Order: sequence, then C-alpha cells, then structure tokens
Amino acid sequence: MVETFFNDILYVFLFFSLYLEVFFLITFFEERLKLSTKKLHEKLSYYPSTTIIVPCWNEEKTISKTIESLLRLHYPKNKLEIFIIDDGSTDRTWEVVQKFVGNPQIKLFHKENGGKHTAVNFGIENSKADLIGCLDADSFVDKNALHEIARAFNEDRDTMAVTPMLVVHEPKTILQKMQETEYHTGAFLKRMLSPLDAINVTPGPFSIFRREVFAKIGLYKKAHNTEDMEFALRMQSHHLRIRNVHTAQVYTSSPATLYKLYRQRLRWAYGTMKNTLDYRFMMFRREYGVLGMITLPISFFGVFIFLYNFSFIAFHAVRSIADKIVQIVTVGFISAIPRANSFYFNTDFMAILSYMFLGLGIFIIWNGVVLAEGRFRPSSGIFYFIFLYGIVAPIWFIRALINVALSRESKWR
Amino acid sequence: MRAKIETKKYILAFVITATVFFGALMISGRFEQSRLAEVKSVENKISLDILSSETQFALLKESSCKVIDHSTAFSEELNSLAQKLAYMEDTLSEKNAEVVNLKKYYSLLQIKDYLLVAQVNEKCGVKPITVIYFYSNKGDCDDCKREGYVLTKLREEYPELRIYAFDYNLDLSAVKTMKSIQGVRNTLPALVISDEPYYGFKSPEDIEKIIPDLKKFREARDKAAAEAAATSTKK
Repeated sequence: MVETFFNDILYVFLFFSLYLEVFFLITFFEERLKLSTKKLHEKLSYYPSTTIIVPCWNEEKTISKTIESLLRLHYPKNKLEIFIIDDGSTDRTWEVVQKFVGNPQIKLFHKENGGKHTAVNFGIENSKADLIGCLDADSFVDKNALHEIARAFNEDRDTMAVTPMLVVHEPKTILQKMQETEYHTGAFLKRMLSPLDAINVTPGPFSIFRREVFAKIGLYKKAHNTEDMEFALRMQSHHLRIRNVHTAQVYTSSPATLYKLYRQRLRWAYGTMKNTLDYRFMMFRREYGVLGMITLPISFFGVFIFLYNFSFIAFHAVRSIADKIVQIVTVGFISAIPRANSFYFNTDFMAILSYMFLGLGIFIIWNGVVLAEGRFRPSSGIFYFIFLYGIVAPIWFIRALINVALSRESKWR
Repeated sequence: MRAKIETKKYILAFVITATVFFGALMISGRFEQSRLAEVKSVENKISLDILSSETQFALLKESSCKVIDHSTAFSEELNSLAQKLAYMEDTLSEKNAEVVNLKKYYSLLQIKDYLLVAQVNEKCGVKPITVIYFYSNKGDCDDCKREGYVLTKLREEYPELRIYAFDYNLDLSAVKTMKSIQGVRNTLPALVISDEPYYGFKSPEDIEKIIPDLKKFREARDKAAAEAAATSTKK
C-alpha cells in the first residue's frame, strides 16, 4: 500500500520529466536548421565598442592566461578594451597583472575587497562602450567568441544580452570529465531555452550586455552570491531579451575535487532556489512565457523531484544490495552470481519508462556534444555523467535545501 | 517582445509524452504476458512429461526399472520453473490471479512428480532423496528467503536431489492435504526430509548432515571429475 503510494508519485514525476524532455526535443526539431556549428568569418557591418571586465580576487595562477585569451580575440583592437579589476587580492594577482601596463587595450584597477558584484559594477560605471561584458578570471575565450556575439547583437536590435556556450577547460579528473558532459548537456538546454526567451542565468564567463540594460535595470546586486542569476531574472522581469549563441565558446576551469565541486554547486543550488523564490511572482504567469511556466518551476521544484527520484532509486538499490549480501552470506559468492537469461531482464512499467527516459537523455547529451564539438565523440565523461552525477549531486542539493530552509547563505569558496 | 507561449506545442508535447507513457505500459504488459505464456508452456511440457512417465510406468510395470525414463534433467526443469515463478511473483505481485493459477498448477505438478518418483522408487527398491519445503511470502517468514537460496544452491549442486517447494498459504486442496499428510506445523520455513519435519532455517551443511547420501554424490562426482582430468592429461 505504502509502496504503491510512493510508486505513484514517482510515475507523476517521471511523466513530468519525460514531458520536459519531449518539449525540449520538439524545440530542437524546430531549431535544428539554425544549429550549425560553423563560424562565419566574414566581417561584420558594424563592430560595437566593447568593454570586458575581468574581476579578480586571488587569481594569480590563471589571470595572465585569461587576459591573453582576451587579447587574442578576433575583434578590432580599437573597439575592445579590457578592464582588470583587482578586488583586493591578498596574493600576487596585482603584481602579475602589472606586465600588461602600457597595453593600450588594457586598464588596470585596484579596489578594496567588496565581492565580485562590486568589482563588476565598478567596471560598468567606468565604461562608455556599447557592449559591456564580464569574464571570470578562471575562464578563457575562443578567439571568435566576441565576433559571434557581436553578430548576434547586430542581427537583432531587441537582443539585450548574449550568453556564450560554456565548455570545461582541459578536464583531467573523473569529476571534471563528468562536468564536461554536464556542461555539454547544459549547453544544449540553454540553446533550446534561447528562442523561447526562457534563459534564467547570464553566466559570469563572457555574458555580454548592451550598455542600456544597466541604465534601465541598475547594476549587479549581491543576490545570494549568484548575482549572474539574479541579473538574468531581473532582465527577464523587465522583458529584456537574452540570447544564447552556441558558436561563441568560452572555456571555464571546473573544480577538480569533490569538496571544491560541492562548495561551488552548493552556492549555485542555493542561489538558484533563493533567487527563484525572490522572483517567484513570475512563476506560472503566462506573461513571462516559457520562463514562467517551465524554467522557473524546474529551478525550484526540480531539486525536490531530483531528490525524490534519487531516494527512490537509492532505497531500491540498498534493498537489493542487502538481499544480495544475505544471499552471499548464506550460499557463498559463486552461487549468488545471477544466471544470464533474457527471462529475468527487467521489463516492468517503471523500468521501461526509465529506459525511455535514459534514451532521450542520451539523445540530448549526444546533441550537446555535437553542438560543442561539431560532431559526436564518445568520451568517458558521458559514462561518468550518467552513473556518477546522480550519486554526487544529492550531496549539495540536500545541503542547499537545508540552507534554504534555514536561510543560511552559501559562501563563495 | 517576449516569445509567446505556443499552446499547440504544449499540447503536442503532452500528447507525445502520454503516447510514450502508455506505450511503455503496453510494452511492459506485452512482456508480462509473454513471460506468463513461457511459464505456462514450461508447465505444459512438464505435465506432458509426467503423463508420459506415468504411462511408461504403467506399461512397464513388470519389466526392468532402468527403462523408466524419469531423469534428473526433469528435476532441473522443475528448478528453473520454480525460479521463474518466484521472479514473476516478485515483479507482478504474489496476488496476481494468473501468477496464483500458475503456482497452483506448478504445485500440482510437483505432487504428481512426488507420487510418481515414490512409486518408481518403491518398485525398484531405492529410497528417494526428496526434500519437501514449505514457505510463506506473506512477510511472516524472515528466513524463507535465505532457505530459498540454500535450496536453489542444493538443487544446482545435486541434480539427484528432488526438492518440492510449496507455498504454505496457497489455497489449493492438494497442497492442504500434503501439509496434513506430512504433519507440518505453521512454523516456517519447514522442511520434510525422509518423512521427518525440520523447522527453522537450515544451512547447506545442516541439510548435508541430515542427508548423508549427498556427501556420497559429491565424492562420486569429484572422483569422476578427477579421473576425467587424469585421462585427458594422459592423452
């Protein structure tokens, strides 16, 4: 009786999850002709002046590489200025960036530590460019990224912000490889949300805005240490268009260890839920389109659904492992090895639904890889993402839920 | 201007999802039916085999015992059928009417086999090595699962051993009669070996102690295996 009740809840959740997958796939088929990964190299009719702000706090190891990647951008030098804003670093960051003194494209600023949003705001206030963007000091841009983004602004006067495609930079550890596939999947979903006007985050690495956006809705706020999400939601609440350009690639460093990943994701999960709560007036409101009807509800309720599904799978896994242990203890290891026989292949309703869900998920991953790399390439990251993500993600989701319930802020690091 | 919600798209996504959802339900139902049919066909085959053996037995009453073909392979068939039925009970619930019917039929086949083996062995003067096992899967028998593992292992290890498993709570008069003939109390798991009831969990070692012949079977098998190995080395 109790089991039937929990099963029925899972069926409802599986139905919703499947619905979302189908919804994104329909969008994919509508958009597929626009998903070419080829970059067009012809000159733009107009190159908007652009300021890229690089806020940094203790980034001595990566800052040079980040700036050098910006200097290599295929963009007229007189149209691109780079603001390096040292937000009161306590390491050698300020010394390291001195080597760029004298470069006409680069301006160095030093201020007291006040948090990332204060550094970015400082840059915005000092910029007079048409487009203003930010690049986290642990990320590197592809040389065509700005060119592709400027084209998107030129093509649509109503586009107020453009987000790039984020790709994990040189994944080495298992967790980084897992994140590589996660980013590919995320890139696919972002690209699908783009024409639906349903993007809910303008990520720190290389999201570019028209200058007038800041005049209209103000500067960045602290926003639960996820100001890039709050800013996107504030833009959406003013019906300002955000587009994703998948041909503009940005490489970002990803946490290599479980603890670092946990800290980052706890901040993201907590910030996502808190910001969504702050902007809950858009939820389920038709005037906010797909953002109100799909993105925001997933952002908030998705955590509960994910954790419910995880608990369900974990409960059954623990139960069958316990059974197996009893069997091994009773009759020995050899006798406990299951015999291969198609008769015992699980084909109950829940199992078949899960296979379909997984199949559609793999289709999305596949297309995410194609979007990022131009063609599908099998990698160990896909395996890790499918089998590992569901095990590690509950760690930060559960903590984020507790923190949201207790209104306990998540730290940056 | 924000992209408008296209109601058509939402409905299309809903229709596709519902189709996939109910498609999965139908596919799953098909698989269940084909499994039930497979179990049914195995039961029919076993039933035919028993009938054939009974007929053979009746025809050859006066002749040699060796002619009667009621092999150990037959015991393996019953074993595999028992496992398949247990799996069906797990996946389709033990209350499923079709599963209950298959189980009743299986129980009857076991009783028929038990009687036939007893007759053959009586005529030929051999004492049958049979284990009658009563279990319950109503949740009131903690050790039944473990005992099931033990008997499955013994069945695989000793094809000579005939194990008959009965659900103590099965509503079938033949099984009730079997319970009363064997004088089994409702203290499960219960094993009847050589007309003697044993209650509570019994490990493979316990059962090997109760049936010393099992050791002889193993020694004979080990010896045969060693000889075969020696012959192949010589070659």
